[in-house]
Amino acid sequence: MKLKRFLLRYYPPGIILEYEQGGLLKTKAIDLLDLRPETDIDDVVDEITRKEPLITPSKVEQVRKLVSRLQEKLSQTDDHHFYLFKVLRAHILPLTNVAFNKSGSSFITGSYDRTCKVWDTSSGEEMHTLEGHRNVVYAIAFNNPYGDKIATGSFDKTCKLWSAETGKCYHTFRGHAAEIVCLAFNPQSTMIATGSMDTSAKLWDIQTGMEVCSLNGHSAEIISLAFNTTGDKLITGSFDHTVSVWHVNSGQRLHTLIGHKAEISSAQFNWDCSLIATGSMDKKCKIWDAHTGQCVGTLSGHDDEVLDVTFDFTGKYLLTASADSTARVYNVTTHQLISKLEGHEGEISKITFNPQGTRVLTASSDKTARVWDHETGECKQVLEGHTDEIFSCAFNYEGTTMITGSKDNTCRIWR
Amino acid sequence: MGLLALLRKLKSSPDRELRILLLGLDNAGKTTLLKQMASEDISHITPTQGFNIKSVQSSGFKLNVWDIGGQRKIRPYWRNYFENTDVLIYVIDSADRKRFEETGIELGDLLDEEKLMGVPVLVYANKQDLFNAAPASEIAEGLNLHGIRGRQWQIQACSAASGEGVKDGMEWVVKNIPKGKK
Repeated sequence: MKLKRFLLRYYPPGIILEYEQGGLLKTKAIDLLDLRPETDIDDVVDEITRKEPLITPSKVEQVRKLVSRLQEKLSQTDDHHFYLFKVLRAHILPLTNVAFNKSGSSFITGSYDRTCKVWDTSSGEEMHTLEGHRNVVYAIAFNNPYGDKIATGSFDKTCKLWSAETGKCYHTFRGHAAEIVCLAFNPQSTMIATGSMDTSAKLWDIQTGMEVCSLNGHSAEIISLAFNTTGDKLITGSFDHTVSVWHVNSGQRLHTLIGHKAEISSAQFNWDCSLIATGSMDKKCKIWDAHTGQCVGTLSGHDDEVLDVTFDFTGKYLLTASADSTARVYNVTTHQLISKLEGHEGEISKITFNPQGTRVLTASSDKTARVWDHETGECKQVLEGHTDEIFSCAFNYEGTTMITGSKDNTCRIWR
Repeated sequence: MGLLALLRKLKSSPDRELRILLLGLDNAGKTTLLKQMASEDISHITPTQGFNIKSVQSSGFKLNVWDIGGQRKIRPYWRNYFENTDVLIYVIDSADRKRFEETGIELGDLLDEEKLMGVPVLVYANKQDLFNAAPASEIAEGLNLHGIRGRQWQIQACSAASGEGVKDGMEWVVKNIPKGKK
């Protein structure tokens, strides 16, 4: 094994090692999820050197520099004030979902008008219209971190794979018997997983365009799915009140997470793949041990359905958004409530952290999106202008640009 | 009504829950009708750029009514909403005689749609409060509603603005729920 070079990863903090083994170039990540600006750098470097055989004494100084750069990045105070940069009259009919590529240089919007559009973030110009679906384009994704491909899932029961650069359609994946409402690329970008109202999820091979396997077992619609960071496990959340954990290579179901008393709305892994968070119409959020499938905590408190849940990048915090028009920030380890985000005048359907984990963005049916301080729960900004409900919102990787997609057929860029 | 709520309304509805599609040309009064059904304020209604959905209770049934914009450029997308429709409601501006032909063609196309086969259709002859409104019987004849085969149909004179006739139409809808839903 020979170390070729280091790559720095800001969010979540980590150092990627590129090394050669048996003539092949490989990478591995050293996660530094607990790194703080005040952490003693010698301790961190010592621990890395002790645990990681690739870090030989001659490389220690370089590692120290990288850790110190990560600390600098972490200590940058973040008081970015967002302004409306552009209103994009994006579609003829309401938007569904929005997503950035990793760098944030472009983003995509799905719509009831059966198209997905690719936009240039800095100019607000439309780069491509991905046409071909025969019904609503509901679920969309970039194959981040690469960002050269786009997947679209439609109510026409098919999923399509596109080139992000040319807008050309590579494959149409056929096999679902009902609407496709969620999808994801695996982190290696070799497969796409799709979840459908037909109660199944399917894995598709990006190269061949063939179905790899069908994940059957849910008794109602699948409306949420996610890969873990390593890509060996997939979770599916269903209207049958359960979440299933699947082994990707074998297609076997490893666990069924049973405990919610109503439909699941969202299911997510944390970064280190140890925990799963689930939100449900039963007004609760649950935290599960991803290895054993046991429920390790139930977060009650919302007065109405929990519509979205998400971890921050490092997995320290958990966000819940509810139809009761509030959102909450929890400590993942202690399950303690850190803050309540109160102020919206309608249900909150989407919630997300900025990559730094310092700001929270919420999208609501009250036609506003809001930016919050996660520690104090203080509302930092109300983003007004949309004339109908906001369905979706997203941060770019730097945390400096946000997009919101609305039922008013427009998309707005804030920066 | 976020995206998740849309998915829940999209799925095959349980007993005593109906999916109703509200269509018609632009300015026919679909959104006003929808708001009247839901007993909401109708004073500020603008052209529908997408769709509205409301759940209305009637005779023990929950009616999920989908109101889709009627502008010409939106009409090709009506088919996005056909699946699992239990009852079609078609709204006509009875005072806009110039557009009777256009509305007749659109309705004819809808009735030919495979996904709407056998689906009962209620035609609201709306805007009866206007002095130049054509009576329901004249519209039924002009649109050759009597020639409809293979489905239940009804024409109901109404005024979405005053609410007159709206309830009668909804009662017909509940009475003509397709078999298997009752």
